[in-house]
Amino acid sequence: MAAERQYQGVVHERSREIMSAWYDDLARAAKTGEPSACLMISGNCVEILRAFDIHPIFPEVNALQMAIRKQALPMILKAEQMGYSGDNCAYVKADVGFLMSGGVGPTGTIPSPSIVVCNYVGCNVYVKWFEHIAHFCKAPLFMLDIPFLREKAPSKDDITYVMKQLQELIALCEQVTGKKFDIDKLREICRYAARAEDGWARAKDLCKAKPAPFDAYFDSINMMGPINVLRGTKAAADFFDAAVAEYEEQVALGAGPLPEERFRIITEGPPPYPYYRNFRNLFAKWGAVSVASTYSTVGGLWEYGFRHDPERPLESIAEQMIVHNLTNRSILDRYQQIKDYVERWEADALVIHSIKSCRLFSAGQGDMREYFTKELGVPTLLVESDLEDPRYYSEAQMKNRIDAFFEALEHRKLVNA
Amino acid sequence: MIYGGGVDVGSTQTKAVVLNERRAIAGRSIISTGANVTKAAEKAFHLAAENAGIAPDRVGYVVGTGYGRYKVTFGDTQITEITCHARGAHFLFPDTRTVIDMGGQDTKAIKVGLSGDVLDFCMNDKCAAGTGRFMQAAADVMGLSLEEIGPYSLKSQNPSKLSSVCTVFVESDIMSYVAQKKKVEDILAGVHKAVATRTVSLARRVGIEDEITFTGGVSRNIGMVRALEAALGHKMNVHEDAHFAGAFGAALFALERAEKLCAVEVAKVDLTGWSDGEEANGTAG
Amino acid sequence: MLTEVLERSRGLVEDTTYRRALDWKKAGGKVVGCFPVYTPVELIHAGGMLPLGVVGGGTSVELAHADSRFQSFVCSIAKSTLELGFQGRLGLLDAILFSSICDVARNLSSVFKRNFPGVHVDYLHYPQNMSSAGVIDYMESELRRVRDNLQRVCGVEISDDRLSASILVWNRWRALIADLYALRRDEPQKISTVELYLLFRAGTLMPVEEHIPLLEASLAEFRSRTAKPRDCIRVVVEAAFCEQPPIGLIEVLEEAGCYIVDDDLLRGWRFFDTPVGEEGPPLRSLAAAYVDGSTYSSVRHDWRKKRWEGLIDRVRLSRADAVIFMPAKFCEPALFDYVLYREALEKASIPHLMVEFEEKMWTFERTRNEVETFVESMLFD
Repeated sequence: MAAERQYQGVVHERSREIMSAWYDDLARAAKTGEPSACLMISGNCVEILRAFDIHPIFPEVNALQMAIRKQALPMILKAEQMGYSGDNCAYVKADVGFLMSGGVGPTGTIPSPSIVVCNYVGCNVYVKWFEHIAHFCKAPLFMLDIPFLREKAPSKDDITYVMKQLQELIALCEQVTGKKFDIDKLREICRYAARAEDGWARAKDLCKAKPAPFDAYFDSINMMGPINVLRGTKAAADFFDAAVAEYEEQVALGAGPLPEERFRIITEGPPPYPYYRNFRNLFAKWGAVSVASTYSTVGGLWEYGFRHDPERPLESIAEQMIVHNLTNRSILDRYQQIKDYVERWEADALVIHSIKSCRLFSAGQGDMREYFTKELGVPTLLVESDLEDPRYYSEAQMKNRIDAFFEALEHRKLVNA
Repeated sequence: MIYGGGVDVGSTQTKAVVLNERRAIAGRSIISTGANVTKAAEKAFHLAAENAGIAPDRVGYVVGTGYGRYKVTFGDTQITEITCHARGAHFLFPDTRTVIDMGGQDTKAIKVGLSGDVLDFCMNDKCAAGTGRFMQAAADVMGLSLEEIGPYSLKSQNPSKLSSVCTVFVESDIMSYVAQKKKVEDILAGVHKAVATRTVSLARRVGIEDEITFTGGVSRNIGMVRALEAALGHKMNVHEDAHFAGAFGAALFALERAEKLCAVEVAKVDLTGWSDGEEANGTAG
Repeated sequence: MLTEVLERSRGLVEDTTYRRALDWKKAGGKVVGCFPVYTPVELIHAGGMLPLGVVGGGTSVELAHADSRFQSFVCSIAKSTLELGFQGRLGLLDAILFSSICDVARNLSSVFKRNFPGVHVDYLHYPQNMSSAGVIDYMESELRRVRDNLQRVCGVEISDDRLSASILVWNRWRALIADLYALRRDEPQKISTVELYLLFRAGTLMPVEEHIPLLEASLAEFRSRTAKPRDCIRVVVEAAFCEQPPIGLIEVLEEAGCYIVDDDLLRGWRFFDTPVGEEGPPLRSLAAAYVDGSTYSSVRHDWRKKRWEGLIDRVRLSRADAVIFMPAKFCEPALFDYVLYREALEKASIPHLMVEFEEKMWTFERTRNEVETFVESMLFD
């Protein structure tokens, strides 16, 4: 019997390094009082904060870190004592519990934000979450309202509205930092962003190889930090150069994350962070590798070509926020994204991990299942738990459903062979 | 003679079957699972072998299934009860295309291929009513045994309305009906109807095709059979041994495997140790 | 007359086959569904179409298909509205409008679109940054987009003139509803909440021109009633702005000793604190009303005045003794707001009670106990 599988490599190590450096920056900012701002992951505009040297704080990352280290539940319970419902998003609850416990987490001290910038891109819970943070931290709240992508393309007026707000955000940043906005600095940041995005897109594209060089669901979180949090820095751009080199080498060697790639799957929905390893192993046991995932595209859909543009920095930031991220697009657009993954990444099946906390993702996934099984004939498994709240994970049930699904897939493979 | 054994360790009962190479039942047993799952599995298997009149080690291959399948430590491999129920239902009724399996923990709808293979399956939502355990809870609230509630419900002319999907809510609904002195048969018929409606909705997710076979412990409840048929608008196959379907399926897989192993030396597929320290092989071939 | 009007109203409210709208349809009219919370009904009305409140299935719809699309942790209204579609009861709709109230409603609009391709589905993104200098322009543009889509898909004309005329009609209607609310606030013994609610909600299910005379006549009758005030506590009901509680639950609240002196039931149909501007370009007036004339709401971010300050104001203005917070099960916007509402109420020493509901609940014993205890604790304090 092999020892428990460790998922390691250059990407994992480098990711940890540069993310730790960011946590250290935050801890320092907490001491020195340098300006900092809360921001959300999905379709964000971290470039603008960076242009003012404002430290970005991501409450979602706080929540994630607590969950994966199995420290979330006490925080969730604390929030529930304050009146949050069992049915509220547990990401929010964990983060609020954390805030109320002094803001010192597994990654060090998180500063109290100078401003709270809510990039409202689809997720309505973001609005509530940041209202609450602003209220509890007594910080000014900037609501960056991004019109949802409800036609094929955004209207001119949608873009005008967002551009107007970006200018208003810039004015607020000038006021908070006492610095003048420097568009050339923003261009430089966008240049680094685009380089990281090139690497991200290349890495995702490499998963078309058989076997895929990494698991585009479970391993992607190591790239999600650098692309969504550190985007616009040299460190992130360099990180993606290294990532691509590692994965290209893997492809050349015909190597993947598992000894044998027996099933290629597309995974939809955020992972159960409190049982991340456990959940991964349930798939690894069957030789199932995610060759593409939707969760990894909440920040941006760079694999479909979008890049920040140093020539049009603000315009490209607006376009990224409105059009080129998963959360500001409809669930029907997501069906098409998944369909494209199934076809071009040549997957055998779709796995939907439906989480109670995030209804942006999960509300309607039953319909998604209908579409893929009945209209497209793609074998689809739907399992339920949560991304933050450990109380929703039932290992026996999870294992049962995953095993049954792959037993059937395997049978089909044998018959078709 | 080659024998194959199937042990289905459910949350309430453990069933074991031994098949001979003519695919006939040589022996079987059913016992309560209790607290010691491994012991229950062993005991059930030994009883089935005894019932077949053979020594346990004469059984060439043993497949464990059900929630406690990984506790069938003496077995050769484990297969989920979804795969086994499909196969078992097909064994009992070869024209089965849809299986509705209602056990203690879960309700499943399975779409079945021509050879009893699983084409698609769906299981009940996490916090929704509609399982054997829920029926037990309903029976407890009414102070009746699980065996009594089905026949009792059939007396109803006017089933009570139970529309909530939440187990906790439904329980308080029942309590409130009891307090209102509604007829017991009407409340029970309402419970059966509510579970049946949810189950049919579940089955629609995989697509309902004729013939429909009802398996699992709750298939012995005549009230549920009638309620499901009413909700489906269709007759179902119900075998008197339907609660053995999982064990039959497991034994069939075991028999096939045993025959293959006899014919050629096939090495077991090694899936290496991805699980958390538990032996776990695929169905192989 | 009043008894008859109320009976007819109850009939309309409890009838999920939308009888009156079907008659309208049979007579050649077009029907546009309005999913909660706020819908710019003037746009629909100006096109000569019937705005129809589509607010779930109430107690009457059994889920046969919709729970395969939405999981058990999704609110009832999303599932029952979809179920109405699967059962063909929404076949009368030419279009349906959803808006950015929550993640479930947004995804529901997509699922609706995929499953019922014959109905025009539009999703409105209402602005959330009321402080931006560009916000009214944006809102106006969004209303124009919806108007253009309705004109194109339904083959109707929605001219500025007709829109201005519609604004007058709906201002009148909302003023009458406000009169009902004012009467209940000032003399709650003259009109019960169940009566008010049935009459009000019937207006979301029939042509407004038909409803206005009913409102006028009923108001006169309510006012002329003579009744002795009961020994009740005065409460504001908050959080039932989307999915609607069963009538039986409202009855229970009243029977348990509450005068409901303000509430946010069907909030979107009386969304404005002041009338929509009747002069000038009508789209601009509607946009300005949304941005600057709206009430506080769990589905509208407005940091200029905090939502909980709005609630405290409402309690003061209605001279209420307490707040009953009544969210639908699984309603995230309401459940999040509860935390900050609660904090503010406690700071202001205003008693409050949380009562969760589901549209299809039908036993109220637990709720009755809770509310009675709450009322007793205040009366015999």
